[in-house]
Amino acid sequence: MISGPTIRKDLSNNLRAAYARMWVRLRGSNRDPIALASEIGLPILTIGAYVILYHAIGLPASAGAAVIVGGAMIAFWTNVLWNMSSQWFWEREQGNLEMYMVAPVSRMSILLGMALGGSLNTAIRALGIVLLGIFVFQVPFQVRDPFSVGLVFFLTLAALYSLGMLFASLFMLYGREAWNTANLLQEPVYFLSGAYFPAIYAPIVPFGLQVAGSLIPMTIGLDAIRRLVINGASITSIWPEVLALIACILILFPLARHSLNYMESLGKKEGRLTLRWQ
Amino acid sequence: MAVADFVKSARESFRVGWKIESNWTDPVLFATYQIIRPLASLLIVAFIVIIGASVSAAGSLFYNQYLAWLIVGTAFYAYVLQAMLGMSLLVFIDRNRYEILKNIYISPGTLHPYIIGRGLVSVVNGTISVVLTLLFSEAIFNGVLHMNIPLNLLGVNLFMLIPAVILGIIGLLAIGYMLCALSIVANRMEFILGDSVSGIFFLLGGVIFPISLLPGPVQAISNVLPVTYFLNTVRESFGLLPVSNYTSDLALLGVTTLVALALGILVFRGAEQRARKLGLFDRKSEY
Repeated sequence: MISGPTIRKDLSNNLRAAYARMWVRLRGSNRDPIALASEIGLPILTIGAYVILYHAIGLPASAGAAVIVGGAMIAFWTNVLWNMSSQWFWEREQGNLEMYMVAPVSRMSILLGMALGGSLNTAIRALGIVLLGIFVFQVPFQVRDPFSVGLVFFLTLAALYSLGMLFASLFMLYGREAWNTANLLQEPVYFLSGAYFPAIYAPIVPFGLQVAGSLIPMTIGLDAIRRLVINGASITSIWPEVLALIACILILFPLARHSLNYMESLGKKEGRLTLRWQ
Repeated sequence: MAVADFVKSARESFRVGWKIESNWTDPVLFATYQIIRPLASLLIVAFIVIIGASVSAAGSLFYNQYLAWLIVGTAFYAYVLQAMLGMSLLVFIDRNRYEILKNIYISPGTLHPYIIGRGLVSVVNGTISVVLTLLFSEAIFNGVLHMNIPLNLLGVNLFMLIPAVILGIIGLLAIGYMLCALSIVANRMEFILGDSVSGIFFLLGGVIFPISLLPGPVQAISNVLPVTYFLNTVRESFGLLPVSNYTSDLALLGVTTLVALALGILVFRGAEQRARKLGLFDRKSEY
């Protein structure tokens, strides 16, 4: 008689799968120094253009600091879109998706590994963007509460990558739509999140836009981080953002799990899990 | 290769390219996708200017003029984005994903008309984005927000705009041609190439601020880019810059386009020889 795996064994297998997927992501993304340098240097081109635009229209230097933080957070959004949401699409195109499907681990552990590897990789790049931005554009920052910065940053990433896991399941059955949808979710999210604005929750920004932007966890996290590192705010003034980010995680993570199961089952029924070149 | 054959091959390539890029969805959704991205880019810069106007002491006339200048630059930058991103990915997609680059290369049509045809798809996509972005801008900023920005789409001088756009497109296709050549010999650079070149053009081409704001040595680089003169001539045809500069800007656009064309052909020949020597036309690399 063959007995099923114990909970402990099952958990161990899933953690090992997450670690393995994280290791592949870390190793794969950091083996090429040109790619690493370009992922840090390229956003500086766009950030630089916005900093000069701010200067042209007479906005203060702190607005430049806001755009550097926004540019760094955009690196995470790009990673979520192209390396989380579209990942099952890439894996299917390369013939790996069926291997994940037959592996004796939860697909969530693979997504968790991707998220951990992706967030670590992007954190390195985001740090590079911020440091290079400060060096090139000489913008002022004032951090009075580093613990809160770390907390908000961690919560923002957790919420953002939970959203990435949800998208990954929704994108699972996509063909060329995956590419186009990921493209579509770039600039509109940069706009709605206020990544390149001095502040999204400013009175001049229409209320409807602020509400729409608040549906994206990055908007909430970005606003809190900016207030902490540019205005020198403390945890007492950003607790609503902290609560909102925790709520996002509690909603998005279970939703991603349900969605993944549903899409996997749908894919099996329709025979679309191994389709390529759609 | 006879001109008629070249045109025929380019036309077929355009047809294939158009189907690949557009038939994954219905036309309305496709048009929506084409407009949302450039419109969002436009709204980002427009809101920055509106925020600037709300906190600055400068008069609204300056901001309205700046916004019109910015709308035209951002709208026509869609050509740059479409050509650079589309053409830098072309070789990667056909070689790695569909695995047909070698078949196209050994066909009588060869790669040249194929790349031109596919590049023209980017031009059509760019044109859709430009037209819709300008229309939406007029509707939002003058129609809904009543900002009275000096953007008169009916008053544009087509005799100035059409030569500028044709030359600009030729220049961009020549640069895209270079990116295709580099993609053939490069490995895992397809995403970096297009983003780098479009990013450099965004910063140095005078898209969202005048190049006079750049440091002196950097301005020298801006002055040799076709994009700088493309956007200048386009803005002049909209009456947003002194029209007296149009002839010299158009001449400089022509010269920089010719240089880009010559460089494109040179780089492509070099890449082609290297690819044949090293057997790169059917190289498949994964991430």
